[in-house]
Amino acid sequence: MAELKSLDFGGTARAPMFALPKRIRLSTVLCTIVLLTMAFFVLYPVALLVYNSFLVEVPGGKALGLDTWISAWSQPGILQAILNTFQRVIFTELISFPLAVVIAWLVMRTDIPGKRLIENFFWIAFFLPALPVLMGWILLFDPGHGLINLAWMWLFNVPKGPFNIYGFSGIVFAHIAARSVAAKFIFLAPAFRNLDGAMEEASRIAGAGPLTTLRKIVIPVLMPAFLITIAISLIHSLESFEIELILGPTTNFYVFSTKIFQVVREDPPQFGVATVLGLAILISMLPLILWQQRLSHSRNFVTVSSRSTTLPLRLRQWRLPIFTLICLFGGFITIVPVACLLMGTFMNLYGYFDIPKVWTTAHWMAVLSDNTLIASTINTLIMGLSAAIFGTFWFAVVAYISVRTKFKARGALDLMSWLPASIPGIILGLALLWMFLTVPALQGLYGTTAVLVVACILASVSTGVQLIKSNMVQLGNELEEASFIAGGSWFYTFRRIVLPLVGPVLIAVALLTFASAARNVAGIAMLVSGDNRPLAMLQADYMIDGAFEPAAVVGVLIVLLALTMSIIARYIGGRVGLTAITRKKDL
Amino acid sequence: MLKLDHIRKTFGSYNAVDDLSLEIKQGEIFALLGPSGCGKSTTLRQIAGLDQPDSGDILLKDKPLFSSSKNIFVPAQKRNMGMVFQSYAIWPHLTVFETVAYPLRLRRWANADIDAAVRAIIKQVGLEGMEDRASPTLSGGQQQRVALARALVYKPDVLLLDEPFSNLDVKLREQMRVELKILQRRVGVSVVLVTHDQSEALSLADRLAVMNAGKIEQIGRPIELYDEPATPFVRDFIGQTTKFATHITNVASNGDASIEIGDRKFPLVGTASSFIRRQAGENVVACIRPERIAVASAAQGHGGNELEGIVETMLFLGDRYECLVQIGGQAILAYVPSSEKLSEGQRVPLAFPKEALTLWPN
Repeated sequence: MAELKSLDFGGTARAPMFALPKRIRLSTVLCTIVLLTMAFFVLYPVALLVYNSFLVEVPGGKALGLDTWISAWSQPGILQAILNTFQRVIFTELISFPLAVVIAWLVMRTDIPGKRLIENFFWIAFFLPALPVLMGWILLFDPGHGLINLAWMWLFNVPKGPFNIYGFSGIVFAHIAARSVAAKFIFLAPAFRNLDGAMEEASRIAGAGPLTTLRKIVIPVLMPAFLITIAISLIHSLESFEIELILGPTTNFYVFSTKIFQVVREDPPQFGVATVLGLAILISMLPLILWQQRLSHSRNFVTVSSRSTTLPLRLRQWRLPIFTLICLFGGFITIVPVACLLMGTFMNLYGYFDIPKVWTTAHWMAVLSDNTLIASTINTLIMGLSAAIFGTFWFAVVAYISVRTKFKARGALDLMSWLPASIPGIILGLALLWMFLTVPALQGLYGTTAVLVVACILASVSTGVQLIKSNMVQLGNELEEASFIAGGSWFYTFRRIVLPLVGPVLIAVALLTFASAARNVAGIAMLVSGDNRPLAMLQADYMIDGAFEPAAVVGVLIVLLALTMSIIARYIGGRVGLTAITRKKDL
Repeated sequence: MLKLDHIRKTFGSYNAVDDLSLEIKQGEIFALLGPSGCGKSTTLRQIAGLDQPDSGDILLKDKPLFSSSKNIFVPAQKRNMGMVFQSYAIWPHLTVFETVAYPLRLRRWANADIDAAVRAIIKQVGLEGMEDRASPTLSGGQQQRVALARALVYKPDVLLLDEPFSNLDVKLREQMRVELKILQRRVGVSVVLVTHDQSEALSLADRLAVMNAGKIEQIGRPIELYDEPATPFVRDFIGQTTKFATHITNVASNGDASIEIGDRKFPLVGTASSFIRRQAGENVVACIRPERIAVASAAQGHGGNELEGIVETMLFLGDRYECLVQIGGQAILAYVPSSEKLSEGQRVPLAFPKEALTLWPN
């Protein structure tokens, strides 16, 4: 072996040996810690809910019993609420899903101009807080005073306008215009983007037109992604709350989540009944969650191949009309409600254009001079930023374990990340309240912002983990393996390869977590005290008092905060992430 | 230098690698050749440390990288190997320079040393001036050079290549083969190459192993495997072979066996392989490489092993014709120099050199 000497490359071979069981133990230990932490923050509150739902008041204390479960189902109007929920969900999905599919296809697979602009519209729509947006819609579509209705009455000289935001159709409209289409677009767009263009071309060469190709090739190929998107939106749709809360009661339209809220608001509040109803949602969601888990595990996924060089479908003379149409829709669900909301803040009486003195700046003055505003803003910033930073890190770890490792309990981890989304926010808040009061080590935290941060992270865990997962699934294993071969440790590889590659989605998730924390009302309502009250709660408090005008002012501030954060995040993302290098390419 | 000893790996009930042993020598290019699913990529990943065998030993310079009996597994990042993946695995967020510098930054080299080493290897793979380009903007061939530079910059003990040229067009593939061989000879690194492309394995490898169903069929120099295939699988997998079933009519005292071809019972003499019993009446398969058959004017003076056939089809390949010749209902493939003036339907003499016509068990 004399020739070995001259060919040995200067002792770069490091030879520390790692015994087999030791290696397994280390990563398993880390994964187990993550699993246990997750279980503590998810399963323990759920267990508390289950336990409390079986507690019954008896003379001289409490005992276990089924009374609460029985009385929950004998609540007046509960069956109607269930029926309403299904109706609302089915109608919303029937309209928004096809719409989202067509828009995602147009943006990702055709030569439509302004792709970035359109994408931005939907991201903004996704981030906008529901309450302020809703206030904008009310300004337009209030049956008596709505601007559109007023215009209609003036134009056609009729005593009554055709639109009414309150009631079933108004609620369905508000869902479609709020996040329903935007969220689906965001989930569907990557699937469309990564589809191998050769499949479409083969179909077109075989003689199929673009629409036939969409129907016969693209949609069947993307079916797994579609089903998962549907499953996710179904799971989320049942926890939806604000829109029904504001628009429903005037026409006596209640869905399951607003029914729960009604029960909690009764005097005395019926927490037991609300808990049972909340658990009922969780139980009915379980099959759906398991179904979508099975879908994601069947490996029918379209993954990122090498760079696709196929040209997008040319829309020809339809290019500009379709672009205009989508932009109108995008503007309609973002700019219009925000502009209306902004206008509303300068109105003497919110939404009333037919009073002598319509405009005023008094509300801005009043709110801005209020000390609670600054305190609430700071609370929101602290809460939102902490939730965004810690939450995103946590989501990334959970997503990585369930996608990239062979950890035995990764399925359980994934399942747990789904549970918080299927419990109505207000019930989850209640469970957290119990948890912070009963666990001795946590009692000191009650009343601090930390409690709210935990609630906000839990509120975003499903969406966050899911978004990161769908991104990680598409990264080829070889990108990581190349780093291992080059000598990179697991952590080094995560930091220098995985993190930058999923960077854009991490920034998006952090933004999302921030925005949802900033607008979160239902999830923190039970946990807020005077000291840690954030802006969203301030707005809700104003609204509950009937003070729509200052509520609108606070709403504008929340929107501003979310938008500022998204601009900052996009800027940072543009400097470090994948986009930076693709930009360089464009130059 | 790199030794695999009784490696086994099963996926469920399927034996991906079945009791495989081989040894790779310092400084050679060793190819693992086989059809897809034969276990060659699994073997390579086990050498790399990306997969674990179920049992067996892997040793590098006599130090164990994996040993099921001693419970040793050195993870991929500690093995000091380089690898070029089939997809190249080029990180889309790094520039060419940073991609190549990555392994050196890991090893905490000084910046000046990194700069010098990276520029040197980038020059060697022919990417000078592209250091600051974003990797995704490169063409396939350039991406492959980046992958090669990244794998070589830290002077690994072994370079692993997983179907490295399968995504390149034919011209570029041939060019890269030459460049790789020159580069390898210059650097002196040992190479393990996995491929399903026999011309790649034959042209690049110093030695190669043909794999089938998780087992090695034959190991040797390319010419040995081509000229003296040890198993029917190797015979059929490497190069072109014309086969026809027949039986032995007579065995001469020197071991030459006579057979018949087609329904017209032309007599031919062939060389019996060691697998058959060499008895008259035994059913055998006769095999011959098309380039060993002498056609037309070249067929003179082969001492008896000559027959006449009819040219059925002719494919013009520039330097030669590929002719299908009918002999008594049996189609025989033969290569004819393009200088021969033949036409379809014409009668031609064919000569079968005795040593090129081999007889195998039926």
